[in-house]
Amino acid sequence: MEATETMMGRGRDAIDMIVDADSFNEGTIGAKTFDDPEFGPGAVVGTAALNGEAVTIIASDANAFNEKFPVVYAGIIGMEEGYKMAQAVYASLEADKAKSVAEKRPLVLIVDTPGNGPGKVEEIFGMNKATGAYQLALAEARLAGHPIVAMVIGRAISGAFLCHGLQADHIVSLDANFGTMIHVMPLTSVSRIIRKDLETLQELSKGNPVFAAGPRFFYALGGVEELVGTIDGMRPTIIEHIKAIRAAKAAGEADKLGPWGRGQLGAEREGRKVRPEVIKLMNQEFAAVAEKYAPSR
Amino acid sequence: MPKWNDLQEQSFLESDARARAVGLVDEGTYTELAGPFDRFYSPHLEVLGEAVEFDDGIVTAVGKIGKTPVFVISQEGRFIGGSVGEVGGAKMVNTIRLAIEFHDKLVADYPNISDEEKPVVVISFETGGVRLHESNAGLLAHAEVMDQLQKARHKVPVITLIGSKVGCFGGMGFVAAATDAIVMSEFGRLGLTGPEVIEQEMGKEEFDSSDRALVFRTTGGRHKYIMGDCNVLVQNMIGAFRDAVAKLAVLPVSEFEKMRRIGSPEAVERQLRAVALAAEMQPQDARDVWAKAGNPDPVALTDIPLDEFLADVKRLSV
Repeated sequence: MEATETMMGRGRDAIDMIVDADSFNEGTIGAKTFDDPEFGPGAVVGTAALNGEAVTIIASDANAFNEKFPVVYAGIIGMEEGYKMAQAVYASLEADKAKSVAEKRPLVLIVDTPGNGPGKVEEIFGMNKATGAYQLALAEARLAGHPIVAMVIGRAISGAFLCHGLQADHIVSLDANFGTMIHVMPLTSVSRIIRKDLETLQELSKGNPVFAAGPRFFYALGGVEELVGTIDGMRPTIIEHIKAIRAAKAAGEADKLGPWGRGQLGAEREGRKVRPEVIKLMNQEFAAVAEKYAPSR
Repeated sequence: MPKWNDLQEQSFLESDARARAVGLVDEGTYTELAGPFDRFYSPHLEVLGEAVEFDDGIVTAVGKIGKTPVFVISQEGRFIGGSVGEVGGAKMVNTIRLAIEFHDKLVADYPNISDEEKPVVVISFETGGVRLHESNAGLLAHAEVMDQLQKARHKVPVITLIGSKVGCFGGMGFVAAATDAIVMSEFGRLGLTGPEVIEQEMGKEEFDSSDRALVFRTTGGRHKYIMGDCNVLVQNMIGAFRDAVAKLAVLPVSEFEKMRRIGSPEAVERQLRAVALAAEMQPQDARDVWAKAGNPDPVALTDIPLDEFLADVKRLSV
C-alpha cells in the first residue's frame, strides 16, 4: 500500500477542493446565520455551490480550539459543535421545506474527526444529547428527501463518526493510502481491552473485517459505498452519488440508502452475513403471533 | 425463572435481562423473538475463541400491557458488558422496525384504533455501547438504531428504561437520549464517555474515576432527573418500571414529543441554553448545578429517601 498525500486535518482545504470555485459562504444556510465566531468553532457549516447546485456543507476544523470547552480541539466534536451541526441541518430543512423532494438541497459532510468531547462538564450537562441531536436531525433530513453524502477524508472515529457520517445516505471515503482511518479504536487498544494478543487480532483481521481498522474493511461491511482513489476524484464522486441518491429516492427506494441500506450492502459483500438471517427469522416469528397482539374486536 | 408476581417486587438492578423483559409485560403475554432456542450467536466471538450466548446478550420480545402491544428490547450486562455487535444489534434494530410495521398495519386495519391499542417500544439498556470484538459491525448497528428511532417518530413511542448495573454508556448513551421518554431508577446511570476514559484522556484532575460518589453524581438517576434528561424517576423494582411504562403507554404520541430532550430545532435551542450555562458555570461537580437549579442543600439530595427527593427537588430549567 503506497502512502499518498494525506487530507487529515485539512477539512477547510477539502471544502475548497470539492465545491465550485469560491462558492463557499461560511455561516449562512438559508435564512439562518451563525454570526458568533466563538460558537462551536470546531464545526464549519455553510452553503456552497456544487456543480451549480446549492449544497449545505458540514465539516470539522482540526485547527480550531473551543476556549469555553477545552476538550474541543483537533476536530473533536463537543457540545456546541454537535448542536451547531444539528442547527445547520435544521436550517437546510427549513430553507427547502416548500420544495419538492427532487429539489431538496444536498448535504455534504466532510469527515475528519477523532472523537466526541470527553469531559466532566460534558457528562454533567449530557454530551450524549448533543451527538444524538445531530444524528436525529440528519435522519430527519434524509427521510425528508435531502440527499446526504459523507466524504471521509481523514479520521472517522467511533461516536464522532456515528454522528458525523453514519446517518448519511451514502458514505464515500478516500482510500487507505491517504491515511484515512475508520474505526472505534485502534487494534492495539482493542487488544489490550479484550485481552487478545495483537498478532492474533492482526492475523484474523485479514479475513474478518469486523474488528479491523480502515476504509477497505468498512467497505466489506457495507459501511462505505465507494472508495475514492485520488484527491481530484472527491468532487466528481460526490456529484455522482448525489445523483444516484436522488434517483433512488425518486424511485421510492429509500430503503436502499442510509444505515438500513448499508445493512443490505453488508450482506451482499459478505461482511455481515448473520444480520439478514436474524431479521428474517424474527419477521417470521412475529408474523406467526401478530394476531395475538392486535386489538380484539 | 421466578413467578411473574414475584418479579414485580424484584430489584430491577439485580435482575437479568430476561427477568426484566418478562416482568415488564402482562403475565402470559410474553413471546420472545430470536430467543436462545433459535441459537443466533456472534460468529465474530466464535472466531476469536470467546464464549458465545445463544441470545447474544440481548432479549427481544413482544408482549402486552393492558391493550398496548409492547415491543421489548432488554440488554444483558453480564454478557460482555451488554455490548452491541452484529447479531444483538440486528435484533434491536429489527424489533423497532417490527413495531413500526405493526403500527402501520394496525392503523390500516382498524380505522378506529385508540392510542392505547397502538404499539410502543421499550428498551431496557444495560450496556457500554459498541462491542470491541466486532466493533465495526457494532458501529453500523448503532447507526441503524438511530435511523429506526427517527422512523418511529410521531408513530411509535420509544421508552427507555435505565436501572441496571452497567448503566447506559458509549454510543447507546445517545441512542437513549434520542428516545421519546426516559425512565430511570436512582441506581441507573446514563452518559456518553465513561469515567475511566475521561480520566485516561484528560487526566485525574479533570475526572477522578476512583471517586465513585462523584462518578455516580455525574451520571446517576437523581442527577439526570434534575437535568431533565430523565422524565420519570422510579423505585428500584421491576414493578415500578412496569407501572411507569403502563402510564406512558396509553398516552397519545403527541404527548411524547413534549417529553423529548432532542429531535427538533426548539429542543436544540433549549439544550444550547444549557450549554451556555455550562460554559458560564464550568461546574466542578453535579452539585453545583443542583444548587443553580434552586436546591438550597444539594449535598442532602443524594441521600434523602426517593419519595422525599421527588417531592422537594427543584429541576433545572433554562
